[in-house]
Amino acid sequence: MSKRTIQKKVCLLGDFAVGKTSLVRRFVEGRFDDKYLSTIGVKISRKSLDFDDTILNLLIWDLAGGDDFRQVGNSYLRGASAALIVCDLTRHDTLDSFRYYAEQLHQTMPNASLVFIGNKVDLIEQRVIDQNEIERISQELGGFYLETSAKTGFQVESAFHYLANLLLNVS
Amino acid sequence: MDAATSGDAANAPDPHEHLESIRTILFAQEQARIDALEAQTAALLAALKSQDVSQQETLTALAQKLQGEIEALEVAARAHGEQAGQLQAQINQLRADFQAETEALIPTLTEQMSGIISATIHEARDEMAEALGPVMGEAIRVQIRESREEMVDALYPVILSAVQRSLAEFVQEFQRNIDARLKSTFGLQGLFRRINAWLRGISPADLALRDALPFSLEQLFLIQHQSGLLLAYHNEAGEEISDSDLISGMLTAIRDFTQDSFGNGEEADSLNEIQYSEDRIIIQSGQFAYLAVVTSGVEPEWFRARLRTFVAELHIHYAAALRDYDGDPATLPDLAASLKQLAAQITRAEEQPAQPMSRGQKLALLGGGTLLLLLLAFSCFYLQFTVALLPVAFGETSTPTVTSTPTVTSSPTPTVTLPPATATPTLAPTATHTPQPTATPMATFTATPTEIPTETPTAVPTATATPFIPVTTRPVFAHSQPSRDASITGAIPAHTRLTILDRVNVWVEVTWETPIGLRQGWIPVYWIDFGNLSEN
Repeated sequence: MSKRTIQKKVCLLGDFAVGKTSLVRRFVEGRFDDKYLSTIGVKISRKSLDFDDTILNLLIWDLAGGDDFRQVGNSYLRGASAALIVCDLTRHDTLDSFRYYAEQLHQTMPNASLVFIGNKVDLIEQRVIDQNEIERISQELGGFYLETSAKTGFQVESAFHYLANLLLNVS
Repeated sequence: MDAATSGDAANAPDPHEHLESIRTILFAQEQARIDALEAQTAALLAALKSQDVSQQETLTALAQKLQGEIEALEVAARAHGEQAGQLQAQINQLRADFQAETEALIPTLTEQMSGIISATIHEARDEMAEALGPVMGEAIRVQIRESREEMVDALYPVILSAVQRSLAEFVQEFQRNIDARLKSTFGLQGLFRRINAWLRGISPADLALRDALPFSLEQLFLIQHQSGLLLAYHNEAGEEISDSDLISGMLTAIRDFTQDSFGNGEEADSLNEIQYSEDRIIIQSGQFAYLAVVTSGVEPEWFRARLRTFVAELHIHYAAALRDYDGDPATLPDLAASLKQLAAQITRAEEQPAQPMSRGQKLALLGGGTLLLLLLAFSCFYLQFTVALLPVAFGETSTPTVTSTPTVTSSPTPTVTLPPATATPTLAPTATHTPQPTATPMATFTATPTEIPTETPTAVPTATATPFIPVTTRPVFAHSQPSRDASITGAIPAHTRLTILDRVNVWVEVTWETPIGLRQGWIPVYWIDFGNLSEN
């Protein structure tokens, strides 16, 4: 019996330079250039994950962070099934934006699933965000938390696989 | 010996007894066992009998007990039945009471409700619109699905005028552009092209463009509006593009971006077309999904209407599935097949030969041909006749006396030349006089210059004498009184000719023609255009 193929839209959110695009680059191969991020504020890539009876195509919308996101508005979030919200563990202000992005997503898509990512975990010396603090905020906002390193690839696959499982269980 | 033998035989014991005794001796043990078994069997039979009796007694007791329970249940059921009957009677009573009360309340409530609704509409128009919008949208969709014809009839008068005007403007502009281009291509080739177009039943502009840029359909994407997820895809070349889902996502992102950046964020401002190189992406929007078609060349005039119909049909049939799509194709019908069918229809229609000549064109062509033949025949006959009669008419001395005519035409005194003109037929045999009739008309024209102005004035005033006719500038409701709150007497389509009867402030009482006769009502003056001239 052939496997069923499901496609899901997943948004990647977070402030400027937290490592969103690097996380995607670690995980997928896309056909669009990064220049789209600076021109129209989004770049779309795909990752296919093979499960027992299902092939899940994650269409990852990598959205420009910071002010660019605020300018473009929430239209890119429409129809998203889930989002990965990323912060830089070496910059505390990027954690403060967690709440903003989570609220924006829930305003547009109230049932969307959330996974919070603390990126650049390899920079141990420069780390300023405490794990307990970030876990508490993630819990408050109703999402699962993972620490990754786009540079070394640490837990990058796990984050997307966790998200995929979440989506399949929901669907 | 024989006697002794016979006496022995008489005294000898019975052989059967012997046999019996032998048997007794031989089978004594078995006999004993048989006896014992018989005794055992008898005992068992007795035991079974007694057990049977006791079981029978138990069963009888159970049956009696069950009978008692059944009777008790029957009694309870009867009691419940009676109770249910009473409850049913109460329900019926309540229903009747409710019906009576409802009927009594309807007139009161209707009055109150209409008051409340109109007050709410006046006081909180936006909130009402917001609350009713989704319901009305759904209701209209359902109504279109259920009774499409009635909806078309109801909306037709309102939409028709606007659509006609917009369409006419568009077509005129388009035609102007094309004609402007074509006017530069005079000459034999241009003439031939025009004739060819006329024979094929299309305009020369259309033919020129179609020849230069033949239309072809390449790919079709059906995409969900919000998420940008690909609902269905079709490639006319038959190849499956692996990134069609990424393309649909980026296309949606670009649409959202242009809508947010350059429009008002409303659907009407969305991107309708993207042109790149010689290809174009034509986008036809629906409420929940849009169709993006990659084409090349000049599209036929019916192409967008066909796409619009397809998207509308799709929404009528599968609105819920399109709206609720969450990435699982199993929840959708086979939309790829629909796209394929659409592509096939479009390609087939485009490949069909151009429209054949209409009946009118054929008749005109036939008439023109016949007329030409008749003209040729008449010319031949006339020439032959003239040549044959020349000797008869002018005799052998019919030498070119025509040379004398200049002397007549040059005569500057018309009053003198006019009388001889009437007399010339009698002088026909003389060759010198025959040309004179040709000269006389010239003389009359040049000789009576003062009479010309007296003939022409009648044609001049006709244009200025045409009266102003007021027309509606848009579809407008007519009221029974000069007030917006007054009842509506009818809807007047845009550009309807009006007759003004009366005026109160900004309200004007007008009459207008309808297919069912003359109608009358009050409309605001600012929806009337007094500046249009009658075209007739």
